[in-house]
Amino acid sequence: MLEIANLCVSYGRVRALDGVDLTIRGAGALHGIIGPNGAGKSTLLDAVTGRRPPSGGAVRYRGQDITRKSVRWRRRHGMARSFQRTSIFTDLTVREQLTLVARHLRDDRLDDVIEVMNLGEWLGEKAGRIAYGVQRRVDVALALIGRPELLLMDEPGAGLSAHETLSLFQHLRDLVRERGMAAVVVEHDVDAVFACCDVVSVLDLGRHLATGSPAAIRADSRVIAAYLGSAA
Amino acid sequence: MSNGTATRVAARNGALLPGASTRVPVAVVLAALLFGLGAFAPVHLASEFVLRIASGGLLLGMLALSVAFLMCQAGLVALGAASVYGGVGYLFAIAMSEWDLSPTSALLFAFVTVVLYSVALGALIVRTNPLAFMMLTLAAGEMINHGVMLEALRDYTSGADGLVVNFKGAILGMTAADLANATQFWPIAWSAAWLLGLAAYAVRRSRFGAILRAIRDNEERMRFSGFDTYLPRLVAFVFVNAIAAICGLLHVLNSGFVSPESLGLGVSTNALVAALIGGVAGSTGPIAGGVLFAFAQDQFGARGFTQLLTGVAMVVFIVALPRGVVGSLVEAARRNLLPKRGAR
Amino acid sequence: MSGDKGGGSAHDAAMRFQGSSQVVRPPCLWTTSVIAPLIANSLALASLLIMLSSGLALIYGLRDVINFGHGALYMLGAYLGYSIALVGGFWVALFFAPLLLALLGVVFEYGVLRPLRGRSHIEVALVTLGLGIILGQALIFIYGGEARGVDAPAALAGSVSLYNLSYPVYRIFLIAMGLGSCTALALWLRFSTSGLYVRAVSQDPSVARMMGVNSDRLSLLVTSLSAAFAGVAGVLAGPYLSVDPGMDVTMIVDCLIIVVIGGTGSIAGSIVAALLFGFVQVAGSVFLPDLAALAPYVLLFVVLLIAPRGIGRGRAPA
Repeated sequence: MLEIANLCVSYGRVRALDGVDLTIRGAGALHGIIGPNGAGKSTLLDAVTGRRPPSGGAVRYRGQDITRKSVRWRRRHGMARSFQRTSIFTDLTVREQLTLVARHLRDDRLDDVIEVMNLGEWLGEKAGRIAYGVQRRVDVALALIGRPELLLMDEPGAGLSAHETLSLFQHLRDLVRERGMAAVVVEHDVDAVFACCDVVSVLDLGRHLATGSPAAIRADSRVIAAYLGSAA
Repeated sequence: MSNGTATRVAARNGALLPGASTRVPVAVVLAALLFGLGAFAPVHLASEFVLRIASGGLLLGMLALSVAFLMCQAGLVALGAASVYGGVGYLFAIAMSEWDLSPTSALLFAFVTVVLYSVALGALIVRTNPLAFMMLTLAAGEMINHGVMLEALRDYTSGADGLVVNFKGAILGMTAADLANATQFWPIAWSAAWLLGLAAYAVRRSRFGAILRAIRDNEERMRFSGFDTYLPRLVAFVFVNAIAAICGLLHVLNSGFVSPESLGLGVSTNALVAALIGGVAGSTGPIAGGVLFAFAQDQFGARGFTQLLTGVAMVVFIVALPRGVVGSLVEAARRNLLPKRGAR
Repeated sequence: MSGDKGGGSAHDAAMRFQGSSQVVRPPCLWTTSVIAPLIANSLALASLLIMLSSGLALIYGLRDVINFGHGALYMLGAYLGYSIALVGGFWVALFFAPLLLALLGVVFEYGVLRPLRGRSHIEVALVTLGLGIILGQALIFIYGGEARGVDAPAALAGSVSLYNLSYPVYRIFLIAMGLGSCTALALWLRFSTSGLYVRAVSQDPSVARMMGVNSDRLSLLVTSLSAAFAGVAGVLAGPYLSVDPGMDVTMIVDCLIIVVIGGTGSIAGSIVAALLFGFVQVAGSVFLPDLAALAPYVLLFVVLLIAPRGIGRGRAPA
């Protein structure tokens, strides 16, 4: 479904992504992306979702080259993302912002999203005043509206406890299976990723290191070396 | 609270609160009464001098509405409002004196030109960050201000002396003399203020308004939710400039004169301060602020203190009365008159 | 020959450059007698602008707040310089005026910026605008509405001859001051701890705060430094431009244009922008005197159309 070919992103002279090749296969699978600090995980997501223009390489979505397509185009064609630093509408109530987006994307099954993300009791609250954990759920909910086919998430567990993150991942896995959508999750919390993802990819220093099942990746010596090396 | 079905059923029945179905018509009747009263009572009760100031205040208030609307709904401060306000007057005068257009055609010409100008300018600048936007509107306004005083265009604009506007014939049955008359102009200014205020209200309550405010809240997330964040802001910019153009035309019809002062930065700042005084949210605030400012200026301006008044008003109102006079009154009323809600 | 007098705006200063070289020149010949004074005058003007706009840019980068009263601070510095110079001479004024302004900066930080910390940026900016207007009006009330001339000190009076051209010593001093403050600023930002913190916070405020940067103390430092520099610029402007009401408005508009062209949070950008601005203003007044007043605005449009985020590599989006 998503093909990343030789993707490069530079911040000035620093190469955050140095020729990454990665394929996200398909529907119904939760694909985790991990890697030590500075690996370029968030940058990869930004480049794939159109937030940051790549300096080289290509991104193909369902066979079509979307490298230069606008952020808006991607959303309207089934690619949605959530953010590491919670990005919601603080002046609107939860219901107002969900309805706003739902009407725009012509999604009439908003109640499903609300139920899945367990936002029922917060609908009337202004998003700027609710607890951080709930705000992160709103962030994800906004991405779920419109039944996207490919969901990309940037550290959904950021700022959440290990327990909350695991619970979130379990929800995600169920959602992905139910709806038959593809989801790519960049995450720092390795445990949650290993527990719930079907495929895991590892990035290190802007390069794609390995991809495989959680068990295989856990045992991969290169991955261990990368994590140990960065801890030094 | 999450009983979606119950709320949907209630909404379909058209009444969410008991008595709501009778509340709306009462409000409309009261508003109509207020409108009628305001249009005709002052003409009989107030002196011509007071009417003149009040009309000027309404015009400034409408300009303030234009500035306040963009600020509140789109988060953008437009400092060039006066260039539209005065510029439309110049176009009107020139169209009649140079090209012999009838007053009504000149009016339409001036309005359409200004709208096209704001489309072109908006298309260029609406994409930038708020500070750059503000400076660009300032720059555009100042360029027009200087342009009007250029030697090369003196034949058209009479430079710093300003242009006297005299038109023959009538617009909608009113001659130049009629429009310059304070008692005849007041109902026109009053009606225009209501019209523009209601238009702004309608846009605020529409889905377009909600989209504008959401863009102001988090522009990036709007894009990532599939929205075009450029067009709505462009439309808003053109809308507020249309408001400025309308009150600018009323101004020139009433005063019969247009000069570089009417397009200067001073008028733009006055509009901004008027909005702060009355309250930037809503329609009543800025318009009332314009009237308040006009009377305050009459008191202090004679002694050369207008600038000082502007500065003090800015500080006092933002620090102590951020909602402005109207906003604070509304807030006080809401707190004291509405029944207290039960514990959440 | 004592310093120049006349209107206080940059445009007026530029207009007076035509008398600075003794060679009469036709406007379109590109000879040294045209280029050299052009560049020198641009540098002199840019020196003042750099001192002022870097102060503005620092506060903006640090706190995301535009101090609209900055032009009024500059005007205060100029009038204070004028008054102090009447009793103690130019050098005494150059020492004390910035000091007094730094104190005012401290008052500004504690009295205005800290209490209004929770408010939106637009609101704080408008408050500074109001305060700036009040300060400007107070100065006009105290000193009256006519322009005042300040003489350059004896040591800097007169002109120096280079290659057949005569150039006022004072302006060379001005260029030297500009260069000096630029270097001092660059060194501070690059090599000192507080300078590093300022750069970090300007680039990414939330991350810098997480790393324990005491942004309050930093802000106090930046605000008082910024005010002090406005004072220096004000005193220096006396013999060069003159001291008059209205200098605050023109200067704040010019500085804002420079900060916007330079890009948010980029000091290097605002320095380049100031140089560009100075050149455009001076060149405009030499070659197109009627339209020279519009030059800054055209510059703003042109630059922002080419580079919407400004010249420098400013803050990353969102």
